[in-house]
Amino acid sequence: MFEFRPILNALLRAKSGAILLLLQIAITTAIVSNAAFIIKDRIAYLEQETGLPEQDLFQAEMMMYGADIDLGKQIERDESLLRNIPGVIDAVHINAVPLSGGGSGGSYTLLPQNQVSQSVSAAYFLADSHALNTLGVELVAGRNFEESEVIVSNEGTAIAKVALITQAMHDEFFPEGNGLGQTIYRENDPVKIIGIIKLMKGPWLNDKRKDRSLIFPHVRPRTFQKFIIRTEPNERAAVMRKVEDVLLAEYPHRVINSVRGLDELKAKYVAEDTLMVRMLMVLIVILVMITALGIFGLTLFNINKRLKQIGTRRALGARKSAIIRYFLVENALICSVGVAVGSLGAIWMGNKLMALYSVPALSASYVVITSLLVIVMSLLAVVGPAKRAADISPSIATRSI
Amino acid sequence: MLFHYIDLSWRSLKRTPMVSTLMIIAIAIGIGVTMTSLSVYHMMSADPIPSKSSQLHHVQLKTMDEGHTWWTKDDMPYQVTYQDAMNLLNADLPYRRTAMIKAGFAVHLDNSDIKPFIEQARVASADIFAMFNLEFVYGGAWSSDDEDSAASVVVIAQSLNDKLFQGENSVGKTINLDDMTVRIVGVIKDWPTYVKYYDLNNGAFRDPEQVYLPFSSVAQHEIESWGNSNGWKVESNRNYQDFLNSEVFWVQFWVELPTQQDKETYASFLMSYMAEQQKLGRFARKELEYALRDVNEMMVYREVVNEDNKILVMLSFMFLAVCLANILGLLLAKFLRRAPEVGVRRALGASKTQVFIQHLVEVGLLGVIGGVLGILIAQVGLWGMRTSNSAYTAIAGMDLTMLLAAPVIAVSVCILAGLYPAWLVCRTTPATYLKSQ
Repeated sequence: MFEFRPILNALLRAKSGAILLLLQIAITTAIVSNAAFIIKDRIAYLEQETGLPEQDLFQAEMMMYGADIDLGKQIERDESLLRNIPGVIDAVHINAVPLSGGGSGGSYTLLPQNQVSQSVSAAYFLADSHALNTLGVELVAGRNFEESEVIVSNEGTAIAKVALITQAMHDEFFPEGNGLGQTIYRENDPVKIIGIIKLMKGPWLNDKRKDRSLIFPHVRPRTFQKFIIRTEPNERAAVMRKVEDVLLAEYPHRVINSVRGLDELKAKYVAEDTLMVRMLMVLIVILVMITALGIFGLTLFNINKRLKQIGTRRALGARKSAIIRYFLVENALICSVGVAVGSLGAIWMGNKLMALYSVPALSASYVVITSLLVIVMSLLAVVGPAKRAADISPSIATRSI
Repeated sequence: MLFHYIDLSWRSLKRTPMVSTLMIIAIAIGIGVTMTSLSVYHMMSADPIPSKSSQLHHVQLKTMDEGHTWWTKDDMPYQVTYQDAMNLLNADLPYRRTAMIKAGFAVHLDNSDIKPFIEQARVASADIFAMFNLEFVYGGAWSSDDEDSAASVVVIAQSLNDKLFQGENSVGKTINLDDMTVRIVGVIKDWPTYVKYYDLNNGAFRDPEQVYLPFSSVAQHEIESWGNSNGWKVESNRNYQDFLNSEVFWVQFWVELPTQQDKETYASFLMSYMAEQQKLGRFARKELEYALRDVNEMMVYREVVNEDNKILVMLSFMFLAVCLANILGLLLAKFLRRAPEVGVRRALGASKTQVFIQHLVEVGLLGVIGGVLGILIAQVGLWGMRTSNSAYTAIAGMDLTMLLAAPVIAVSVCILAGLYPAWLVCRTTPATYLKSQ
């Protein structure tokens, strides 16, 4: 009933047009499925849970250039000053800011350096007991720092004896879940785990250490400092505007710099990926449009070429629906072969991308869904011209003979 | 004759407005997409200093002890230690060379209304200006005496000079960097590059520094690096002096080697230097290795053009292939329908070649129109990239090469698409069509 044979015969007689259409559909399928897959992968990366209330957090950097103060004491004064600004929940001096792309990392081991044992690399943060509350992260086990545990020192060798670690880091060392209270080592210095943080992304989202962090009760009084401040929801913008004046009024010989929200820092860190997602989305949309236009144009042309034949068929009693069906079936035939070839191409391309670049393996569902959508798109592109063909009046078509 | 063909083509395009528009849209969008990604690729990978790029070499030394590996793809640390940088600086060789680090300071003036601000600085040897073609507006580089004595001198860039001194000659004036007071000895034009090729450790598309200090001030003022510091050894660096003597990698080192001969000389110097250090008890490893990469090799090594851009270029050329197939199909249909007309022309004496060329001129015309529209579309695409990512402000643009490349690619693609249809149509046998009329 679908008149496969005559359609096939007609196609074989005018191969080149069909082959071109087939090629277009195949390449489109290959590009779209891979691009869609990359988009999904990136969106998952961009929207990952950070464990931090990014909207309520902001950082302020400062450079102290007056040589006339005790930096350690000044940090304490600044912290209490910041905490007392109306709208501020908590504030803390810290060595690095999560999600910002800048931080410090180190290797930690189960046993001291001179014995062979498991080693885990992680980001570390140095801050006092206000870190947990400021960052708004959840402690699932253990306790916060006590004031007596906080060391204030600029010496490179100074290291706190206790630390809070993230769940992800804990699980690397203690898959059985018994890490609380245990000791790990930084080189030869023992560090006791006193608390476990549920989830907290580190400074580098695009890194294997992203979930592995430690917080040490340690303040390094340097001339270049960073503070993180958490505000009540919706109060952040107001506090951000105020913070520079408040700090300069307390002590003027410093530069307050880079007062930025954590969401803004994150957006900057992932700007490349956001751009890639946008570019690929635009690419997919216009590619599908171009292919649809191509199918549309070619069908239109084929119909014009076959005006007489269509007219003759209609004159011999073919219904309008038969004419429409003819073109739909013809297109569906080309299109199915096209998506079949395209699916193979997509898989081949996915493998190539995976081999050349750090793109994960293409999942088959993307190829299947893309193929179906391409078939639907192509049929939609044909319906219009096919209807026009069906409207050809037999009399006009046959008159010229 | 060409004009006649162009006239014929124009008429032919007008006769089938629908198909012509479709073809022009296809080629314009294809070119627009391709040129967007290609322009960015071109700007990113462009040689930032063509007159010097093959002479400036970046030094890397593999100095970790046996059993220690590095995460880089060739197991080489990107930077060198302070000790090695100093030793290489002091080597008695006739080549310009510079060690350098990135730092940052609060810049403030005595008795000035200008609010103190933070500025990034490059701490380097005096040779940096001559090596990297940095031109002076006022004054010049600090002297070698200044370099040796860690004198409190500074070279600033023009933008900073404009900001602090309204662009006037500021040589001899002093500015404060944190708690040190330094005298300006020179003002350079802003470093004319958008790729920070001389220090790719903290992102390739950052603005060059505005403040330049002698490298000797690193030890003198205990300057902290604002770049990366990477260690492999357990060392107890209690204070700054310990840090300077450590095996931590945090200094970049560049040397200017004008000829291949010089490069070989320097390479053998590096090997003998490492062997010498080994005798002193450092570098406890079997195989010593160095890397001397010139500017372009360095850009490839550090992947200045990132993966995403390469993927986009690849995808956009596939996109162009779709457009090509699209146009080819439409041209085929269009030309073949015109076969009867061509039959008459052939019967009236037009040669196959003439018919062939006439049709190629027609597709060429399509290419020109599509190419020009494509440039406009690419401008929109590049504008979108600039808005989406501020790091692309300088890179997402089309230079003259790309502007000229667009119509060339467009016309080539169209002609490629037109070859087969034009060949088919010029083979038309006049008799067949004359008979049927």
